[in-house]
Amino acid sequence: MNEVKRIDFRDQIARNKRKSFFLMFAVFLVIVVLGYVISKAYEPGLFFIIMIISIIGSISYLLISYYNSDKIALFSVGAKEAKRGEYKQFYDIVEGLTIASGLPMPKLYIMPSRQINAFASGRDPKHSVICVTEGALERLDKKELEGVLAHELGHVESYDIRYMTLIAVMVGIISIISEIFLRSLWFKSGDNNDNKGSIFMIIGIILAILAPIFVFFIQMAISRKREFTADASAVKFTRYPDGLISALKKIGQENQPEKKINKAVAPLFFANPFKEIGSTHPPIQKRVEALERM
Amino acid sequence: MVLIAWIGLGIVGLVAGAFLFYFNRFAVLGNRIDNSLSQIDVQLKRRADLIPNLIETVKGYTKHENAAIKAVTEARKALVSAKGIEGKVKADKGLESALKTIFALAENYPDLKANTNFLELQRELATTEDKVAYSRQYYNDSILAYNDLCKTFPGTFFAGVYHKKAREYLNLQMTESDRKKVDVKF
Repeated sequence: MNEVKRIDFRDQIARNKRKSFFLMFAVFLVIVVLGYVISKAYEPGLFFIIMIISIIGSISYLLISYYNSDKIALFSVGAKEAKRGEYKQFYDIVEGLTIASGLPMPKLYIMPSRQINAFASGRDPKHSVICVTEGALERLDKKELEGVLAHELGHVESYDIRYMTLIAVMVGIISIISEIFLRSLWFKSGDNNDNKGSIFMIIGIILAILAPIFVFFIQMAISRKREFTADASAVKFTRYPDGLISALKKIGQENQPEKKINKAVAPLFFANPFKEIGSTHPPIQKRVEALERM
Repeated sequence: MVLIAWIGLGIVGLVAGAFLFYFNRFAVLGNRIDNSLSQIDVQLKRRADLIPNLIETVKGYTKHENAAIKAVTEARKALVSAKGIEGKVKADKGLESALKTIFALAENYPDLKANTNFLELQRELATTEDKVAYSRQYYNDSILAYNDLCKTFPGTFFAGVYHKKAREYLNLQMTESDRKKVDVKF
């Protein structure tokens, strides 16, 4: 039983690494194709220059987001580093959990929000960060906070953090790029009247609309199962499902939707920062039921 | 002919790969056990180091609690001098119950209870106790992983080849004499 579980777990890590690689490759292709379409739609004469720029640009973009995805995610929610002297309990709990899980100590961050929430990020366990909201530190008791942080360490251990942060950051940028492209079209009407140009323009518009939707669906499909797995890891570390259950119930009762959080980073969080419908997380009730069965 | 040679080469490669893989698995999991064992030791030592400070703080505020203070000092001595990880963990159990008495007594001394140093030590001792529990849990998890590898096929074959045996879990059955040692007299 336990052996089976452990092998599954190693599979999960391998799967996350593989998916991260394919995601980066797919994003590379999407950017190059977008570059191709945009150059055909606007300036066919500059085709080669635009293609070279988009290839170099996409590679450097991938490298930058791979090594800095955690910083981008932290920056986008306005998180700041937690000082050891100020947040002793936070440090104590995570230190205990790293001993229980055999993981290296992540960097700890605090984000200003009244919500009870948390997320983990980074490219591997050695370069991981865990960020909690001020609300979580104030309103959860020690056992509940321990459950939430163990859940986040579960994401760290399984390399979910790499894949999820990459998706969040890359989706964020893609949606911004296509938004810019769409907006600029409004000011460009009438310049390009030949048929060939307008066909490419239509493709361009379609791509620009489809890209974020497409990635949004990938995003939804991936993170729901992960939450259950991370809940299970949390129980493996703490041997105490009740803490996590009570934290989830508190979130279900008290959390108000948070408007300040960017949609792209929502899947990273412990609980969905917005509303339940069309959400990136399984319903809290389902998670509690799964935990109570453990 | 060529085909058979290739198949033979492939099989040899696979077997060599399996030998390497299992050699490394045993090494990695064995190291994990040793590391988690030393982690327990680190946390227990940290606990022992906190006690003298606590005693000093408590002495400054209380007058008639010599028995309880002595019990903690004795329990600490037992922890420091204990041999082997099992002895140390058992001694720590004794220290924990002696500390409980001290913290219960502190309820009678409002000044002591309000002392920041005392509160800090109380928090720190509770944290290290959690860490001891977590490191023991991880130690047993590591042993479980190692033993699973030793006892399931094909790991059991390679365990024979590399002379690896299943390891023992921490045995923390308290005997009668252990229990007597930690009694606190009033």
